[in-house]
Amino acid sequence: MSDIQTPPCVGIIANPVSARDIRRIIANASNLQTSERVSILLRVLTTLAASGVERVLMMPDKGGISAMLLRSLKRERSQNHQFPELEFVDMSVTSTVNDTFFAARSMQQAGVNAIIVLGGDGTHRAVVRELMLGTQAGKKAVPIAGLSTGTNNAFPEMREPTITALAVGLYATQRLKGTQALAQNKVLEVSIDQGQRRDIAIVDAIISRDRFIGARAIWKTDNLEAAYLTFADPQVIGLSAIGGLLEPVGRTETGGLTISISDDPGRCKFRLKAPIAPGMIADIGIAGFERMPAGQPFSVALEAGVIALDGEREMPFDTHEQVSITLHENAFQTIDVTRCMQVAAREGLYIHQPSRLS
Amino acid sequence: MQVQNPFPLSRDELLTVYRQMRTIREFEERLHIDFGRGDIPGFVHLYAGEEATAAGIMHHLNDGDRIASTHRGHGHCIAKGVDVVGMMKEIYGKKGGSCNGKGGSMHIADLSRGMMGANGILGAGGPLICGAALAAKYRNKGEVGICFFGDGASNQGTILESMNLAGVWNLPVIFVVENNGYAESTSRDYGTAVDSYVDRAAGFGLPGVTVDGTDFFAVHEAAGAVIKRAREGGGPSLLECKMVRYFGHFEGDAQTYRAPGELDDIRANHNCLKILGDQLTAAGIISQSELTKIDEEVMVLIEHSVKEAKAAPFPTLADLTTDVYINY
Repeated sequence: MSDIQTPPCVGIIANPVSARDIRRIIANASNLQTSERVSILLRVLTTLAASGVERVLMMPDKGGISAMLLRSLKRERSQNHQFPELEFVDMSVTSTVNDTFFAARSMQQAGVNAIIVLGGDGTHRAVVRELMLGTQAGKKAVPIAGLSTGTNNAFPEMREPTITALAVGLYATQRLKGTQALAQNKVLEVSIDQGQRRDIAIVDAIISRDRFIGARAIWKTDNLEAAYLTFADPQVIGLSAIGGLLEPVGRTETGGLTISISDDPGRCKFRLKAPIAPGMIADIGIAGFERMPAGQPFSVALEAGVIALDGEREMPFDTHEQVSITLHENAFQTIDVTRCMQVAAREGLYIHQPSRLS
Repeated sequence: MQVQNPFPLSRDELLTVYRQMRTIREFEERLHIDFGRGDIPGFVHLYAGEEATAAGIMHHLNDGDRIASTHRGHGHCIAKGVDVVGMMKEIYGKKGGSCNGKGGSMHIADLSRGMMGANGILGAGGPLICGAALAAKYRNKGEVGICFFGDGASNQGTILESMNLAGVWNLPVIFVVENNGYAESTSRDYGTAVDSYVDRAAGFGLPGVTVDGTDFFAVHEAAGAVIKRAREGGGPSLLECKMVRYFGHFEGDAQTYRAPGELDDIRANHNCLKILGDQLTAAGIISQSELTKIDEEVMVLIEHSVKEAKAAPFPTLADLTTDVYINY
């Protein structure tokens, strides 16, 4: 049985404010300009059209992406370039993360075959969080395909968007089945006071002794207390790089990693240099680390602080609150672009007979 | 058990910041009433709703640091330390005002505080602050210049030219876009081709950062980073503060360009003063009664300033020709 919607429809969530945070000042992090984000979208749209995707549902924004995209499409269409039918989610734009939540929920409700996400780890987390809530409420799971336009980008892989769009097209048009195209991913569930407050992280949940949210991005290492990681890749940057250089854990490998961080000479066992932001190599005191089996809650020892989820301070907690973090496997699906393109090549999916010109 | 202060400012500093923001709010709320009664000559553009940005940035500055303000400058003045009574007199057009009553709302200045002046010309602060920053660079004491401008003025050539100049000369300047969403009555979506101001800065090789301008701590942290960078010789940068405007572009603006319910939402959910007050009381380091006491003291100050302003004489004809030229 196929889960695929006919005709194929793909959702696009492009965050206009990813890669605009304080790390551009303190670490010379890159700034992907709006015009480049629109260029990426145009490449994605033409590729989806060439792949047979007839309809795209997109999140509107007031950050300049939708407005510039519409202007560009008008120009492109006047040159007879082919695009899918583009429709924007009917929503009032708040220019907050609530837009991403609403758009992801609407797209899942509309039955899109996949959602392409332009953003960093934080944007991807917001999309996944909403889709998981939908799935728990009985809606069909929707796989996502990430395009890196954020700062740290441990989760979305760096890849030319045309290739990602080709892979999405293969799945959305049923030329590849879910068993061929999709990968399962892990999440960290953060729970305060037995679920009074809950949230997720798709890469890292960091515990800091800071107790305010401020400019959101976490970049000072002085107050770090612990890190909980779904995967730890030595080739990525961000706080998960601490784990990547200590004890690599693959994206699809079972379990995660937890690390105790301390500069206290009584607790610090050794120090580690790690790229915790673009161009920022920090010296971190390590008090210990251990593998994190799935399904087992880990209690946070710190009495009061703030939890950063996928790079952004999100959840302050106080002395009377208990925080626990649990790793879950098979939590959501992504389009496995590498495997899609390998299967496509092996099965000759892009080979066809020459057109017969009359 | 003593409650630990979770914030990057001391308790006394936090009380000062709250007082400053409350002073701006009450100053503007009072002008809204007095202007409506016809008590005030000239024109006023009110800063209410945007207080967290002025306070978050100015907390990092000293009197030696210069700011170039805008037509909506009262909040900048108060946060930079300009005397409130003198400001009120100035707006009322009276002797004893910050500029002896001859400038009014859009020309309040106090060079002793590094406040180079509000400015009725949109985007005019860019070239001015580049001059001040060039002087600061020569003085080599780590002073910086802040250029405030709105999302509308961001489209003025002067701002773009100034970013270029600041980049070329590596000036200690921070360009602060106070983005309240409207250039007078034109929405940013309608009137700006590239809506990211960080993108604009990147066009001149300047790094930029966008923050929630209604969260004092977000502005304070980001401003601290860009100002430190400039003081240390790291050069110019841009800070975009996304904020809300409580009143119209000018007093008397019917604001027909706003969506239904927009102002109610702004006041209910984006009140930066309430956001700060809630953060302080929730952390348990400052009580609601302490904040209420400050509120009351500020009301007394504003009332006093209005009384003083009303009682003060207007400038005379002889004042017309004073302070016009200066000999160096």
